[in-house]
Amino acid sequence: MSVDITAAADSELLRSTRFRRAREADWRRLEAILAVAERRGVRALDFEQARDLATLYRQACTALSVAREISLDRALLDYLEALTARAYLAVYAPQETLAGVLGRFLATAPAAVRRSAGHVALAALAMALGALAGALLYGEDASWFRVFVPGGLGGGRGPASTTAELLEVIYGGAEQPVGRLGAFAAYLFSHNTQIALFSFALGVFLCLPSFLLCLYNGLILGAFVALHAERGIAWDLFGWLSIHGVTELAAIVVATGGGFRLGAAVLFPGRLTRRDALRRHGRDAVKLGLVAACMLVAAALIEGFARQLVTDTTARLAIGWGIGGLWLAWFALGGRGTPTSVKSQ
Amino acid sequence: MTDRNKVAASQDLAHRRAARRPGLVHEVLPPEGVPIRLEIAGLGARVGAQITDLLVSGLAMIAALVLLALTGAGEATVAVGALLFFAIRTPYYIASELLWNGQTLGKRMNGLRVVAADGRGLTAHAVVVRNLMKEVEVFTPGTWLLVGGGDLWSSLLVLTWIAVLVAVARGNRRRQRIGDMIAGTLVIRQPQAALLPDLTAGRAPVSDRFVFDAGQLDHYGRYELQTLEQVLQTESRGSAGTAGQRRANLEAIARTIRGKIGYRDALSDSDAPAFLRAFYAAQRAYLERRQLFGETREDKFHRDDAG
Repeated sequence: MSVDITAAADSELLRSTRFRRAREADWRRLEAILAVAERRGVRALDFEQARDLATLYRQACTALSVAREISLDRALLDYLEALTARAYLAVYAPQETLAGVLGRFLATAPAAVRRSAGHVALAALAMALGALAGALLYGEDASWFRVFVPGGLGGGRGPASTTAELLEVIYGGAEQPVGRLGAFAAYLFSHNTQIALFSFALGVFLCLPSFLLCLYNGLILGAFVALHAERGIAWDLFGWLSIHGVTELAAIVVATGGGFRLGAAVLFPGRLTRRDALRRHGRDAVKLGLVAACMLVAAALIEGFARQLVTDTTARLAIGWGIGGLWLAWFALGGRGTPTSVKSQ
Repeated sequence: MTDRNKVAASQDLAHRRAARRPGLVHEVLPPEGVPIRLEIAGLGARVGAQITDLLVSGLAMIAALVLLALTGAGEATVAVGALLFFAIRTPYYIASELLWNGQTLGKRMNGLRVVAADGRGLTAHAVVVRNLMKEVEVFTPGTWLLVGGGDLWSSLLVLTWIAVLVAVARGNRRRQRIGDMIAGTLVIRQPQAALLPDLTAGRAPVSDRFVFDAGQLDHYGRYELQTLEQVLQTESRGSAGTAGQRRANLEAIARTIRGKIGYRDALSDSDAPAFLRAFYAAQRAYLERRQLFGETREDKFHRDDAG
């Protein structure tokens, strides 16, 4: 900017031009600070920059408000609009660290599960109902197995398999074609993860898809158990399922519980609008979904390592239900001591 | 000009103005009490950012796996690969949007940003929600589109689902997808601030050569003034068209303005740029002064005067 303008010439300038001239240096400084903040985050600013960011942002807000009133200079208006918006975005950026977010999640998730105990119980009921129906239907006609269980899931097992073949899958850990880590890999994206995901997310549609998915999962389980019970190896299957299934099925139930919270918000919004109800219940529901995701990852680890290493049924039962007990203890006792301000997050 | 013509012309102008507007605008009111306008991102840019993200994260994963395979980690490669494949889905988007203030790498490259619709800061909860829903809204149909397959009914189901998703995002003013609605977020264009020079604050005042009286300045309004400003800014930056084209354009504008305001002094074509600058300065001074007294004039149809 030229500085050799005399005071007389200056007074001839438009009010909006003088306004702009007096503040332009500040805006440039704000722009420079923003460039740093946008590239490397507000944390990268030093003390003076951080202090100036706050002051200059407020000044830019005032300038924008004045300029909208007094100036018809489009160049100025567009610039100030954009500058203020950038500063606003930098000033109100979330100041989170991953550790902080994780810590808060661990502290508040159990309370969310406790608040949703009814919905989770309902989901468990749906699965139990499905299992019962599956077992009874299989008892009537073994061909139901083919209907319920998709081809890949049973690992080639079915009513046509011999008892020896069934036992081999249950105990034959070492001879698995894929290694134990491979099993873990395959598992992460397997059927049950998808069921958990969908039964959570589709709960929004009035709970119905979640309920059906949970019921369907129960049907598979029931048919599976009935098949093995028919051959008198139910106890072996129980051990085989328990070691990771306790965690895995619990994850599906918790995810479905989260889906039910969403659906319930749409069905019974109470005095809120449906959108607001969804947002409010969404807070807990999302925590349930994340808890379920954690449980699924844990189940995958158990599946990958423990199931093939531990072939003794008693040990399998102890590990499976022991871990299940730990989950339950976390849900029941976790986050009790946290202050209410954190809890309401 | 008859009244009917006038109305038709003003409607036409409103249409053209709406078409010229770059995009939808979302207004937030921060605690400072000055409304801030943010431009809502179009769906095309968002799809572009998503594809960029997929490419970047996919390539990063493949690079990591190739490195692992070269070092001969063997079986661990599979496990790490599985973990990475898991991580570049939802966790990557959650972490990056949380730590980089609503931007993933793809959004950064495409100049987009996620903001909270209520004008407060982005919360961890909102980021988690919108990206959890991404799994159902983007990845599942996306995988299906890439891989295809399935029977007729599931194909129909997925296609319906995609149609619903697009309809929802297109159908609301904030261009929110379902996850955005639940999370209370929206995607905006990162504002770009570039300060163009003030056309009235140039070198020596040119107002001595061209003098306008109040009657001559009473024709145009804010819209015409700012259009003229845009033309002059383009001229001084030399950005659009050839120099000859811009020159002819300025001369035509100068002739039109002269005719409209009844400017009597002789004016050669070579004077056109100086004349326009002087007229711009005088017109802006006149309109800004009127605005200070509460008389805003939107355009040459003087609709604000009548109402």
